[in-house]
Amino acid sequence: MQSGTQARKYRLQGAGLDLALPYLMLAPGLMIVLGVLVYPLWDGLRASAKAYRYGSPIADVGLQNYMHLWSDAQFLNSLWVTVKFVALSVSFEAVLGFALALFCLHEFRGIRLLRTVLIIPMVVTPVVVAIVFRLIYASDAGMLTALSEAMGGGAVQILGNPLNAFIGLVVLDVWEWTPLMFLILLAGLQSLPHEPFEAARVDGAGAWRVFADLTFPMMRPVLAVAIVLRTIDAFGTFDQVFVLTRGGPGEATRLISIYGYDTAFKFQQTGYAAALFVTIGLVVLALAFSAIRLLRRVDAS
Amino acid sequence: MSTRLARILTTIFVLAVVLLPIYWLVSTSLKSNREITQEGTLYPHLPTLDNYVRLFTEKQFGSYLTNSLVVTFFSVAIALIVGAMGAYAIARFRLPFAAERKVGLFLLTLRIIPPVVILIPVYLLMLSLGLLDSWLGLIATYTAFNVTFCVWMMESFFREIPVDLEEAAMVDGDSRFGAFRRITLPLAAPGLAATAIFAVLVTFNEFLFALALTATPRAMTMPRGTATLIGRIDTDWASMSAAGVIGALPIVFFALLVQRHLVRGLTMGAVK
Repeated sequence: MQSGTQARKYRLQGAGLDLALPYLMLAPGLMIVLGVLVYPLWDGLRASAKAYRYGSPIADVGLQNYMHLWSDAQFLNSLWVTVKFVALSVSFEAVLGFALALFCLHEFRGIRLLRTVLIIPMVVTPVVVAIVFRLIYASDAGMLTALSEAMGGGAVQILGNPLNAFIGLVVLDVWEWTPLMFLILLAGLQSLPHEPFEAARVDGAGAWRVFADLTFPMMRPVLAVAIVLRTIDAFGTFDQVFVLTRGGPGEATRLISIYGYDTAFKFQQTGYAAALFVTIGLVVLALAFSAIRLLRRVDAS
Repeated sequence: MSTRLARILTTIFVLAVVLLPIYWLVSTSLKSNREITQEGTLYPHLPTLDNYVRLFTEKQFGSYLTNSLVVTFFSVAIALIVGAMGAYAIARFRLPFAAERKVGLFLLTLRIIPPVVILIPVYLLMLSLGLLDSWLGLIATYTAFNVTFCVWMMESFFREIPVDLEEAAMVDGDSRFGAFRRITLPLAAPGLAATAIFAVLVTFNEFLFALALTATPRAMTMPRGTATLIGRIDTDWASMSAAGVIGALPIVFFALLVQRHLVRGLTMGAVK
């Protein structure tokens, strides 16, 4: 009896195996992550300081790969295309998603159907989304061409024209990801306190005043988080472009991820591609951390 | 009255924008290649299931589907078990030097880095281990990615569960791990479900690593297998659209089935 209570006491304070428990529980996950993510990350850093020929390292070149990036016209172009793509897509998604969330805030018939249907674009495999849009844009089999011919017009050229292909890619991204923006912002709107809005209604404020003075300022943090999340995600876009245009025509839709992939697997310049990816990683991390810091400052004030 | 009309029109417009592309995919998959490219019909005049049959008889979509299911199941299951333990440790224990907090932050940082950044070294790693074009190589990679966000998501679910319950169980003679397994884990079940659902979606849909790490029907997943249909010169639209339907169907069905949990998982963290 005596020893039983003693043992119980030790257990509560954490004795024996229980002392090691937190480490034992953390270990498996950490080991997998260290082996499959962190080691490769470090290996990538090492590879980025080497020159490769036919996939095997031939010389240490220090930071030369990194320097070379900034005089590589194809890299600079892909960076520019990526920035344009991210800025345009995310802006449209934010505006449309916000508008849709405001629209759906009031309960009415058909809203559940709408919310359910809006889940589809973001859960469909990105490769399939790209196939769907190829089927829309294709000049021979496409929906746009079929519609145009049904109305007496000719074939519609989208993917063969640099500007149209780029716009087509942005449209794809907006179709796929506006629903996510919508869901996040709707959840944000639903979590806002009721009192200020009731007070405004008592005061007889118009819809625009309520939006500009109450809704928008109160939604700013959620909006910022949603935009940051989408921006980080959009920076790594690969699948959709790979299937839709493969980066073409020319370099019109060649995002940085596609250029990096080609550099590594098509042109076998492993070291140079590694340097490119390390640079992207650093840019995204810097972006994320400055966004977090900015958000904290907004929260504090 | 006019707001009501505006609502109806907006709803119809949004539904059309979302559903028309899906309609076109399904309708194309039911046409013959001749009808697709030469006649440009707006709906299948001679509907046929040949395209679907061909995928499984000539193009090995049975293998792709099996590979996808096996790889998704194992990488999500392992990540959930391992992630739940890690998340619990971070949520409940206070270690020297705030180590548990640092581990959490570290995993979150890894999650922010776009996966494409480590594509090359992961490829080289799997090459040196002889795991290219195998289930194991894909499972290892996906498990690692899943662990980073499983820990992050589940940590917040564990924090919502009061510690008192575990302490009561321990007074009654449970070990700490026993209390975690018998008390905390079942209480966190809805959270675990949301995490699992999210992991299944991401893993089933993954393409980039499948593209680099697999090369034959031995290990190719659905998205990877679908991409093989995209030819350089002429495109087999009929097969491609049928493959799109087959690839999207299970995941859309699954997503609609678990809608509530899914929305919770997707919007979590952004609000609050």
